[in-house]
Amino acid sequence: MYERYHIHAATVTPRYTPVPKFLIARADNCINCGKCERNCVYGVHERRDDDPRIMADPISQQCKNCFRCVAECPQRALTLSLNQDYLALGNGVWTPQRVLTVWNESEMGKIPVLGAGYRGMFSGPGYDAMWTDMSEIVRPTRDGIHGREHISTNVVICRNPPYLQFGPRGELLTTMASCADLPVPFVLDVSRLKEATPAMLKGYAQAAGELNTLFIFPVQGMAGLSQDIPESNMVPIIMTAQELASVPAGVRMIEIERDEGWDEVARTVRSQRPGIIIGVRLQTGPGIEERLLQASKEADVIHILLDQNGRDAEGRYARDAMRDLHRSLVKAGVRDEVTMIMGGGIAAAEHIPKSIICGADAVTLEEALMVSIGCRACKDCRMEECPANVKDSPSDYVKGRTINMCNAWRDQMLEVLGAMGIKEVRRLRGEVGRAIFQEDAERDSFAGMFGGDASG
Amino acid sequence: MMPVAEPHLCVPETSWVPAERLKFVNRFVVDRAETCISCGLCASLCPYGVHKRVEGHATILPPYDQRCIGPSCASNSFYCVKNCPTGSLSVRASETFPALGDFRWTADMVLATWQMAETGKPMSLDHPANVGACGGGFDQLHFRIPKGGSMPKDYQFSTSVLLNRRKNGPKLKIDIPVYGGGMSYGSVSLFTMVARAKAAQAWGTFTCTGEGGYPVELLPYKDHVITQIATGLFGVKEETIQRAPIIEFKYAQGAKPGLGGHLLWEKNTPLVAKMREAVPHTSLFSPFPFHSVYSVEDHKKHLDWISSVNPQALLSVKVSTPNDVEMVAVGSYYAGAHIVHLDGGYGGTGAAPEIAKKNIATPIEYAIPKVHRFLTNEGIREEVTLIASGGIRTALDVAKAIALGADGVVIGTAELVALGCVRCGNCESGRGCPRGIATTDPELIHQMDTEWGSKRIINLYSAWRGQWGDLLSRYDMHDLSELRGRTDLLRFEGGKEVRA
Repeated sequence: MYERYHIHAATVTPRYTPVPKFLIARADNCINCGKCERNCVYGVHERRDDDPRIMADPISQQCKNCFRCVAECPQRALTLSLNQDYLALGNGVWTPQRVLTVWNESEMGKIPVLGAGYRGMFSGPGYDAMWTDMSEIVRPTRDGIHGREHISTNVVICRNPPYLQFGPRGELLTTMASCADLPVPFVLDVSRLKEATPAMLKGYAQAAGELNTLFIFPVQGMAGLSQDIPESNMVPIIMTAQELASVPAGVRMIEIERDEGWDEVARTVRSQRPGIIIGVRLQTGPGIEERLLQASKEADVIHILLDQNGRDAEGRYARDAMRDLHRSLVKAGVRDEVTMIMGGGIAAAEHIPKSIICGADAVTLEEALMVSIGCRACKDCRMEECPANVKDSPSDYVKGRTINMCNAWRDQMLEVLGAMGIKEVRRLRGEVGRAIFQEDAERDSFAGMFGGDASG
Repeated sequence: MMPVAEPHLCVPETSWVPAERLKFVNRFVVDRAETCISCGLCASLCPYGVHKRVEGHATILPPYDQRCIGPSCASNSFYCVKNCPTGSLSVRASETFPALGDFRWTADMVLATWQMAETGKPMSLDHPANVGACGGGFDQLHFRIPKGGSMPKDYQFSTSVLLNRRKNGPKLKIDIPVYGGGMSYGSVSLFTMVARAKAAQAWGTFTCTGEGGYPVELLPYKDHVITQIATGLFGVKEETIQRAPIIEFKYAQGAKPGLGGHLLWEKNTPLVAKMREAVPHTSLFSPFPFHSVYSVEDHKKHLDWISSVNPQALLSVKVSTPNDVEMVAVGSYYAGAHIVHLDGGYGGTGAAPEIAKKNIATPIEYAIPKVHRFLTNEGIREEVTLIASGGIRTALDVAKAIALGADGVVIGTAELVALGCVRCGNCESGRGCPRGIATTDPELIHQMDTEWGSKRIINLYSAWRGQWGDLLSRYDMHDLSELRGRTDLLRFEGGKEVRA
C-alpha cells in the first residue's frame, strides 16, 4: 500500500530553562496595583500565590517584548531589557537567534511563524548572502505549484551508472548498484560531536531510525546501538578493512576515513562486501579537487567535511566551496555518477536547500543535534560545566527533540521548494540559477553606481 | 468620457498628537530622588524642557526623559545633575532602549517615527534615524547631497504621482508618492483600517483593504480605498469591486513569496469569518497561486474580468521579486495592468514563516533598478506606473526607491509604527497585537481610536513630505518625479565600486 512519508512530531518541553531574550524587572516603587497583570496577554505578571497583595516576580520567559506593561505602569516601575545571557549564546555560525530558533523548533516540531517583517541583517557571510528563487505566476511556462504533500524530499545515496547496457534480447546487462533511498536529504552524523553519552547516541540513533535516514558513527560504537536502529540505517565509519568484521550483514553503507590509502581500503571492502555502498570522507585543503576526482572513481559517495561553521580549510564558506567542488565534478563528467554529502555548518532550516543548490545531494546534521537538546553552542565548551547539562539528557528526550527539529526543517524545506515550484528536492541540486547571489544581484542592479568613496 | 481627476494639492494641517503610552522608552532616564525639595532650579536651567515646575503646584513634575540629551550634557554649565543643591538628580542610559527595535527598524528609527507622527515636523536629512542598521540595501545607499545647503523657506515643490499612464481609464493622481499597503480586516483592527483610510483621504492618496473583505465603515472613504483580490478571494464581491477606484491583484507577497496568505485560527473571530464568508476559528489560507492563472494570457483574462465588472477601475498587479522579476513586470504590463507593484522580501506581514522573510526572493533594492531598466529598454516605461514596497521605512527610503527607478511606493509598517507599533512581531497568533493595532480582539482594539490614529498618520506624511522637499531643494529640483532613475545621485557603500 502507498504510504506517504510523515514525521510524527510531538511537543517535548525543554529540560532546562531556555534563556529568555528579554528580561523584565520590577523596581521597588511598585505599588502592586495589578495593572500589568490585567494588561499582559502572555501571563508574565501575576500575583503571588501565597500573598495575593503582592505581585510575583515577572516570568521573563513568557515575555514577548510588546512593552505594554512597561508603557502603562503608573509608577514606571517596570523595565524591559535585552538579556545579556541571550546575546552571549552561540558562536560562529550559531547566532543567538539561530540557537533560540532551534530550541523552539525542537520543542514544538513546527515551522516558526511570526508577524511583522524581517528584522535581521540585510545579508551576511556564506549562505546569508544568497536568496532562493520563487516562481511568479505570470510566466509563459512553469512547472506549477504542487500541494506541499506532493513535493518529494527523497534523495538516493548511491553510485549511478553513466548509462545502461542491454543485451540482444533487451535484457539489462548493467549491474545496478545498491542504493539508499532516503526520504529526507539530511543524515545524522555523530562522529564529530565533541562528546556524546551513550544515552544521547541511543536517542539520535532511534531518531534516525524513525526518520528512516542514515546514522553515521564510528564503527567502535556498533555494539551499543544494535537494538536502537535497523542495520540498514547504520553507516559505520571505518579506518581499516579489518574493521569490516564488526559490521553486520544488513548494513547498506560504510564510510572510510583516513588521509592516505583509503582507496586500497575501498577496494578491499568492495571485494569482501560487493553490494555495500562505499563513502569516503574527505577533508578540504590542498589538492581537494584531485582527491575529489580520484574519489569519484573509487567511491560511491563523497562526504565533504567542512568545519563546524561550514567553511573549508581555506576559510571559504560552503556557498562558494561547494559550488566549486560541484563544478569540478560536472566538468569531469562524473557528477551524476556519485553522490556528494556535505557536512558542517548546518545551523538553520534554510541551510539545507541552500547547500543543495550549491551542489550537495544531501547534508549531515551535526552540531544542530546538540543544540536541539539544549546545548548553547558555547565557544568554550566544557561538558562538566554545561549550563544546560546536556550530558544527562535521557534518550527519549534526545529522540523526541531531534525528530521535532527534523520535522520543522523538512517542512521549511517544503516551503522553499513550493515557492520555487519545484516538485522534487533532487532537481534542486546544483541549480544555482534558482538562487540569487548577492554579488550577482549587486552587479546587475547597482552597476555603474557611484560607490566605495566614503567622502561621497 | 473619461473623468479626469482635478489637479489639486491637499496638504492637510498637522496637529500635535501626543501619545502618553509611547513615552515609556527614551535614550536616557532622569531619576529624581526623594531628597528633592522641588526648588525648581533645574527647571529654570534645562533648555530642553526636561524639568518643569508648574506655578501653584507643591512639587515639581516628573522629568520628561524624552527631551534629555544624556550624560554628555555634563560639559554644559546648565547640567542639572551638577547644579542640583540637594544632589537629587541623576541621568543614565535607559536599559529599555536597547530592547526596542531591530536591525531593520532601529530603536532610533522607531522613536523618530513616533516623533514625526506626534509633531508632523520633518527630521533633518542627516539624522541617523533615516537609515537602519541592517548593513545592506537602503542602509548602504546614500544620497550624495551637495554640502552646505538648506531648504529655502516657501520652497515650491510637487510630490504627486500619476498612477495611470495608459490611454484608457481615469487619470488618478496621488499627492504624495505613497499609498497604503493591503492589510486585511482580521490582520489589523477596524480602527486601524479606518484611521489609515481617513489619513489617505486627507492626503489625497489611497489605502488598501487587503484580502479580508470591505468593512462598511470604510464606505465614507471609498474613493480612497483600494480593494485587493488575492487567491483566497476572501470578501471579494461584485459590489466591493465596483466601488473601488483601484483593484489590486495580489499574486504574491514579499514576506512570504510563493507561499500564499495565512490567517491563523485564533485571529479568525466570528466577525472576521463573517466578513470573509468563512468558518470562525479555522486557519484561513490563501493558496498560492491563482489556480486559474498559469500564463500571461490567463492573467489577461483575469484582469479583463475585473475590467468588465468595473470598467473605471485601475488595475494594479502586486508581485514579489523572483530572479525573473523583469519578465513578470513586462507580462503584467501586456496583460493590461496600469500599476506594477513589486513587493520585496523584507516587507511586512501579519504572519509568515520566518524562513521565507529572509530567504525567499530578493530584497526590493535589487528588483527596482532591474525592472526600471528593462521596462525602459522595452520602450514601455512611460506607460506603466512602477510601485515598490517591502522594507521601505523612512522618507529617505522612499526617495531612494524612486532614485532607483520606482514611481512611488506602498507603505504598511511605517503607518503602524506611527500608531504605536513596536514591531514585537506577535501579531500572528493568540489574541493578536497586545497593543491593539493588529488584532481583532474585542477588548484589545479599544486601546486606539481612529481620530487619534488618522492624525498620527497624517503627521507622519507631513513630516516625510517636508523631508522630500528638503532633498529636492538640495538638487534644485521641484518635482519628485525628476528624481526617478537618478542612480547617479546615490552612493553605494558596498565596499568596492560596482561596475558592469
